[in-house]
Amino acid sequence: MTPSAPADASVRPVTGRGWNNPIFRRYCRSRLRPKKLAVSLLLVVMIAGFIFAMSGAVGRYRIELSEEDAARLPIIPLLVFQGIILFFLGTAQAAGGMVAERDEGVIDYQRLIPMRPLSKVLGYLFGLPVAEYVMVLVTLPFTAWSLWKGDVAMATWLPLYGIFFSTGLLYHSTGLVTGTVVKNRRWAFLVSIGLVFGLYTVIPQMARFGLVFFKYLTIMPVYEELLSGIVPKTAGAMVDVGQRLAPTVKFFGLNFSETVFTLFSQGGLVLTFLVMLCRTWRRSESHLMGKAWAVGFFIWIQVLLLGNALPLVDGGELFPSRGFNRYLAPIQMLEAARRRGGGRPALREDWVPQPGEAVLMAGAYGLVTLLLLFVLARMITPSPEQQMRGWRRARKNGARALPFFSDAASSSWFVTAMALTGAAGWYVFTRALVESQWFPGQVVPLSVLAYFTAILLAIGLGFQVLLEWRGGRTLGLTTILAGIAPMMVGAVMGMVSNTLLATATWVVAISPVSLPVYAVGSLLSLSTLPPEISLAVPRAFQFWLLVYGLMTLWLLIQSRKARRAMAGRILTEG
Amino acid sequence: MTVAPSPIPDSPPPAIDIRDLRVDYGDFVAVNDLTLAVPRGEIFGLVGPNGAGKTSTFRVLTTLMEPTYGEVFLDGVDIQEDREGARRIVGYMPDLAPVPADLKVWEFLDFHAAAYGLGTKLQRRERVAECLEEVALTDQRHKWCKELSRGQTQRVVLAKTLLHRPRVLILDEPASGLDPLARRDLRHALRRLAKTGATVFVSSHILSELAEMCSSLCVMNRGTLLASGTVDQVRHQLGSTERTLTVTLLDREAEAAAWLGTRPGIQHLKVSGAQVIFDFNGSDEDQAGLVEGLVAQGLRMRAFEEKRSSFEDILVEVAESNRLS
Repeated sequence: MTPSAPADASVRPVTGRGWNNPIFRRYCRSRLRPKKLAVSLLLVVMIAGFIFAMSGAVGRYRIELSEEDAARLPIIPLLVFQGIILFFLGTAQAAGGMVAERDEGVIDYQRLIPMRPLSKVLGYLFGLPVAEYVMVLVTLPFTAWSLWKGDVAMATWLPLYGIFFSTGLLYHSTGLVTGTVVKNRRWAFLVSIGLVFGLYTVIPQMARFGLVFFKYLTIMPVYEELLSGIVPKTAGAMVDVGQRLAPTVKFFGLNFSETVFTLFSQGGLVLTFLVMLCRTWRRSESHLMGKAWAVGFFIWIQVLLLGNALPLVDGGELFPSRGFNRYLAPIQMLEAARRRGGGRPALREDWVPQPGEAVLMAGAYGLVTLLLLFVLARMITPSPEQQMRGWRRARKNGARALPFFSDAASSSWFVTAMALTGAAGWYVFTRALVESQWFPGQVVPLSVLAYFTAILLAIGLGFQVLLEWRGGRTLGLTTILAGIAPMMVGAVMGMVSNTLLATATWVVAISPVSLPVYAVGSLLSLSTLPPEISLAVPRAFQFWLLVYGLMTLWLLIQSRKARRAMAGRILTEG
Repeated sequence: MTVAPSPIPDSPPPAIDIRDLRVDYGDFVAVNDLTLAVPRGEIFGLVGPNGAGKTSTFRVLTTLMEPTYGEVFLDGVDIQEDREGARRIVGYMPDLAPVPADLKVWEFLDFHAAAYGLGTKLQRRERVAECLEEVALTDQRHKWCKELSRGQTQRVVLAKTLLHRPRVLILDEPASGLDPLARRDLRHALRRLAKTGATVFVSSHILSELAEMCSSLCVMNRGTLLASGTVDQVRHQLGSTERTLTVTLLDREAEAAAWLGTRPGIQHLKVSGAQVIFDFNGSDEDQAGLVEGLVAQGLRMRAFEEKRSSFEDILVEVAESNRLS
């Protein structure tokens, strides 16, 4: 037997990326075993071949398209199939793989290997879903054949597939973050699926309510932009007409292609996820985001939301009814043409946005800002335990205060900064909508800014202080009892009878989450509330804002006292 | 690399240097101001009942956990300042060491060899073969990790821990699940390793074995270091010099018991037939004085028997006091 002499000179830092990344290679080994993979690949090739042959046959012999058009027909079904593999199965593997690593307990080994955190993250990001990448790869010959025979320009398919893979990367990194962060293995998988579904299916729907940026987290804008180039040419012409009506990407005064802006938006989010993962790999106790990064991220989102939305206000493209009108337009045009007894149908020129839309969109902006504030506050706020550890470390180092940016330090100032930025963004958005050419004579006074600031400060800071002072359990209970229950009770009451509507309005207003909607309903001159609640909404809003403001003030004082007591106790203990 | 200040200039730093280490879980103090230095080439045991703070200490040493405060130097490297440097030095085998289910034994080891950057593919394979031989698992190299028995799993993880020739080995309950033969092999492997200059920090519940295996050890209870040194030194520090003495007399047992009752350090005195049995807490000199005294009293002793409490007993006592408090 050879004694293992300690001579770690041979141990050098592993910075391996790409093919040489040991974690990536480990997953290549375990997930690409020919025996296991062969069945999956056979199935994938069969399905892709079926889609290819079936679409081609229908196009050529049933619809009797030209050879070129028939060849283009399988491109979209194949893309959908590839999306199912890469987006759904790949994300499930990324999240589930991390959960399994922790569940088996081998994650500690990976923490100990002397690789840079980024190398570890990249190893997992590309390694866990490596089988899904291979599955997509084997379907690509069918796509390549269709693109070649269909004479699809490289300028069309290259951006489409570029965004396809960047979207996959975004979804996988989301799964990886969830799999890393959620401790309970039963919940981790569900949460990751829920998060991916929410972030990339539900939240993009906010684009219909003026928050255009969120749709760039998906492949859809690029797909829509390039659609005319991949469908049969006859259909492509119609798609082109539709696209001329569709909004293009405008970012303040700049014009971007859908591809560039989608890459920019997704890249920002992937970068944020990578930072979160690297922080977690560097120190498992770290917050997902540093305090300064969180504020920067919040501002970045505000800028993107405003940058995308503001240029679309004057053209009316931001308003939901405009999009709805566009869907109905072809039907309306045909109907109008039929009534006129034939002839060329014309576009409706008499569309104007409804005031209620502007109010709703302003409310949605405030609500999304508040929810984002909650999420970031949750990430950067130290628990009482973390504060205690921080103070003990400070005592040991002879310090009398916690470093301002450290995880253990209070996050109140940072939440305040985000609340102020959010209020400013919300005000700018509301003002742009209400004072636009569509609603002449309407003004949003500066007092509205004061109210918006008060709401975000009272609710955002209250959330943060409660978490910092009492911990996650109390905050969770408060969220259920004060945040969710009143909305449910109020909604049921409102449905029972119209006579209860005013009472229901008061009950719903107990939930702090309702305040942004109540605020725009009360404060904007554009708002026209139904008579049953026209008095209740502003009164409930004022009352509950005052209550929450006072409560937050009380919480701040109590939390400060508790923090000082904790610091005093720890700094003086032996 | 941050080097710990050393009291003697140019003297090599201890392999493990823990200074004022504290680990808290909320209000619970898992490790309370632990200060400990382990010289190079030692096999150092860490003993303590459940909840003593052993695993928390090990997790801090291996950089898996951030302490509340305190400094830890591994071979002179400050583990909080240079985590990656520390990770190259340390080899860690956790309690109930897990293995990935989807890899074969050699693949698992090869992955870690690659992750530690152990040379070319060929060099890695050689090293994997060496480590498998070290733990007597060469014939199992193509087996799936999930098919291994508990003891075999422990040995595979030990092989993984040895791969990069760590200068400091931290083994949490390495002998659990091993059969007597494998335990003996483990003991021999650790001794060989220590001879080459590596330092082994090991915890175990098989205390007698730990005492046999380690050159020195420490005892922790409720996060606090109770004693450290050689087994005898630890016994002394814990105040467990108490022993049970039995004097067998030809006659006059009651007289002997009466005289012994007047001597210091004697407790629980009882007469059982021709025997006088009592607990004695004192030095060996004091014990010799007792024998002399009995003879001087004209008492005729037929036999004198000493029974010291075992190391296991001492720790059971410590654990018991832990439970009661």
